[in-house]
Amino acid sequence: MNLWVVLPVLAVMALLRLLKVGLLTWVLVWWGALYIGMRYGLAAPAPQSVITLYMSIVTLSLAAYVGSSRERTEGVLGPMIRLMSEKRYTPLLVAIALLIPGLAGYNAYLAAGLREEPPYFSRTVHPAPPPQITVGEREVDLIRSVNPYRELEESDPQAFEEHARAGREVYYENCFYCHGDALGGDGMFAHGLDPLPSDFTDAGVLPNFQESFFFWRVAKGGPGLPAEGGPWDSAMPRWEQFLDEDEMWDVLIFLYDFTDRTPREVGEFVNE
Amino acid sequence: MNRHLTAMALLVLMGTGAATAGTLDLGSDAQREAGRVLYDKYCAQCHGDTGDGKGIAADRLNPRPRDFTSGKYKIRSTSSGNLPTTRDLMDIIRKGLPYTSMPPWPQLSETELTELAYYLKAFAPAFADPDFLSEPLDLPEPPPFTEESAQRGSQVYTEIGCGLCHGELARGDGRSAPTLTDDWGDSIRVADLTKRWTFRGGPRRKDIFRAFTTALNGTPMPSYAESMSVEKRWELTDYVWSLSPGDDPAYDNVLRAKKISRQIDLQDLDGLFDAAEQAYFPVIGQIMEPGREFHPSATGVKVRAVYNEIDLAVELRWNDMRAETSGSNGPDLEVPRFEDDPERGASAGTARVEGSDDEDDFWGDEEESSGEDDFWAEEEEVSDEDDFWGDEEAEADGAPSGPETEFSDAVAIQFPSQVLSGNRKPYFIFGDGKSPVDIWFMDLARQRPEMFVGRGSSALESQGMGELSAVASFDRGQWTVVYTRPLRDGGVIFEEGSFLPMAFSLWDGFNRERGNKRGLTRWVSLFLEPGGKKSVTGPVVKVVLLTLLVEFLIIGLVRRRYRGGVQGAVPASRA
Repeated sequence: MNLWVVLPVLAVMALLRLLKVGLLTWVLVWWGALYIGMRYGLAAPAPQSVITLYMSIVTLSLAAYVGSSRERTEGVLGPMIRLMSEKRYTPLLVAIALLIPGLAGYNAYLAAGLREEPPYFSRTVHPAPPPQITVGEREVDLIRSVNPYRELEESDPQAFEEHARAGREVYYENCFYCHGDALGGDGMFAHGLDPLPSDFTDAGVLPNFQESFFFWRVAKGGPGLPAEGGPWDSAMPRWEQFLDEDEMWDVLIFLYDFTDRTPREVGEFVNE
Repeated sequence: MNRHLTAMALLVLMGTGAATAGTLDLGSDAQREAGRVLYDKYCAQCHGDTGDGKGIAADRLNPRPRDFTSGKYKIRSTSSGNLPTTRDLMDIIRKGLPYTSMPPWPQLSETELTELAYYLKAFAPAFADPDFLSEPLDLPEPPPFTEESAQRGSQVYTEIGCGLCHGELARGDGRSAPTLTDDWGDSIRVADLTKRWTFRGGPRRKDIFRAFTTALNGTPMPSYAESMSVEKRWELTDYVWSLSPGDDPAYDNVLRAKKISRQIDLQDLDGLFDAAEQAYFPVIGQIMEPGREFHPSATGVKVRAVYNEIDLAVELRWNDMRAETSGSNGPDLEVPRFEDDPERGASAGTARVEGSDDEDDFWGDEEESSGEDDFWAEEEEVSDEDDFWGDEEAEADGAPSGPETEFSDAVAIQFPSQVLSGNRKPYFIFGDGKSPVDIWFMDLARQRPEMFVGRGSSALESQGMGELSAVASFDRGQWTVVYTRPLRDGGVIFEEGSFLPMAFSLWDGFNRERGNKRGLTRWVSLFLEPGGKKSVTGPVVKVVLLTLLVEFLIIGLVRRRYRGGVQGAVPASRA
């Protein structure tokens, strides 16, 4: 989040609260504040199509709020009607009536200068896994499976170490070209890829999923994604072509071990 | 020959007298211990638990990970042959070496970097020897860049023979480039001086100057500190610096094809692409499907495209150390799995010359120079290469005629075979069962394109040439390949004003690339920019008038309803 944008916006809104401005102003301020927040307030810029979608939801919500009672409707429409019908506001009305087409024209001018961009594909980053997959000869239940070596962490720490070590070997023989030496998704080939390789140091990745989710992602790779995940663009290999099942579970042990994170427990979101 | 002794002898010969100043800077036990913990977590996987450069990943990397026991470091502030300072080591770790597998480590703190540097020093005994103490050179701040200085630098470049290794146009294609090895006997790629973002020591002018001054220890790059004045070194620096478009490669996503009115004819390419805009796409190793390539020779491909009412023409250019125009290549050639590959662990560029000794020669520590002699001998013998090119390709003679190779250089452009439904694309590596791709393949030893339909990298089907035609030429370290095809004839349809996914593959025969072992790009887009000038006033006037009309309507309606003397109809409020 970009605090240099968000904080001033919040400050302006707090100030308006003290000034007790009318509902129309509030509606405009909310719309503008949310737009500015979306457009400039996010650390990672959101695509224009997402902003448009979000702002239409905002517009509809504000309209619903305004329309929800007679008083609110009048609070918003009243000032507008007076602006348009009372003689004393005529200069202001003319100014506004000229300003709006001016802005619209300027916007059209900017848009005409823009170059066409390729169609945007809104990819689902972590699509839902299928209930089960077949790896080699074996069916793996992705809903209930846990890493078979995870329990060793408690029962036999030394054996667990061994699996983490084996996973480390798998990782640095195969994965770090894209996912990076320190698992930051910034390996030596990452600059040539889109989508970018997963960043395992991101708090939103490893702890948010059961290990079986990543087992699926590793075994089936990009081509195993459902259509909403964009399987044609993903450079994640189908590791079942290169690794056996043990190696895949081991590399998951390594990922969590290196980043000091724990997987989501089975059943946290599964209703038995 | 004992490398270590050589280094020591060099130091003595150069009489740096470094031991007279400064003190050993080895850190405390606690610092080295903290360094060890960091090293074991972040470094040992490549550089090895004992610092010998033989970690888990080492065999798949090129350049190979540094062997810290040697004390030889490329990027330093000390004079040639000397050990780096603690600060040098910290800087290397923090910045990494671009376009190698050594990443930057900005996340490590100053303290951590210091600890790591002390631990690295502990691997090489020389650091603890007061005789080898080295002081950083006084590297001057760069004077302002001038074109004149770069001009003079270009003469210096020729005079002192930089081109022998780096090539006449500095594309890393000098005559001796294919034979170069580092102090460990591994093949080493000469820097392509037209891409300063790939310079291991950094792209800034002071980084380039430093390389001339301190040399890159362990590599054939010598120091010019003794033989060239500071002024001349700055001139050379300015020349090298001026060869790249920027510090950053500025990779693109879209190739914009310009509409032209002239005829597209492969016999007459002069100025054909002048109006076109160049796009530069990053090339990475194909490491996703079996037959992986961990270190492709190419790092990028420059592309331009034009079209008229009938044809599309696409031009690809990329730098290559040497044109391999003997042997053959194909997108479907078998590549053994890395684990079963006898060449595995071979550095990029250890092209095995037919009839030459076993590759082990390149690896043996002692035999560094014997392989080199073989290369040269081989090169004299082979002169029939021109036959492949025919008389009309006489301008390609600038290419060093390399020895016979098993695999030739090759290139391919890839498009979806069918009209896309929605956002769905074929798999970017030679398509998939549901969505095939057209692969415009060209074996550069043949001068004839061949179209394949790909339904996955193990399901390619040759379709012959069809309507496709192409020509290729090699000039001083750069391949140029131009493809043309009618806009709609046989396979993918090109339409004005529309986007189409497009991807590229490059094979370097020198690097024994073939089939799946190659460099590739992700899907990028080809856009056929509509012809004619785009009008700005039209849409602007339209929008302004439309908005005004809507406003008048609203104001008119409101006034009619609320102004007809019925003042009371307006709800009274604070305003």
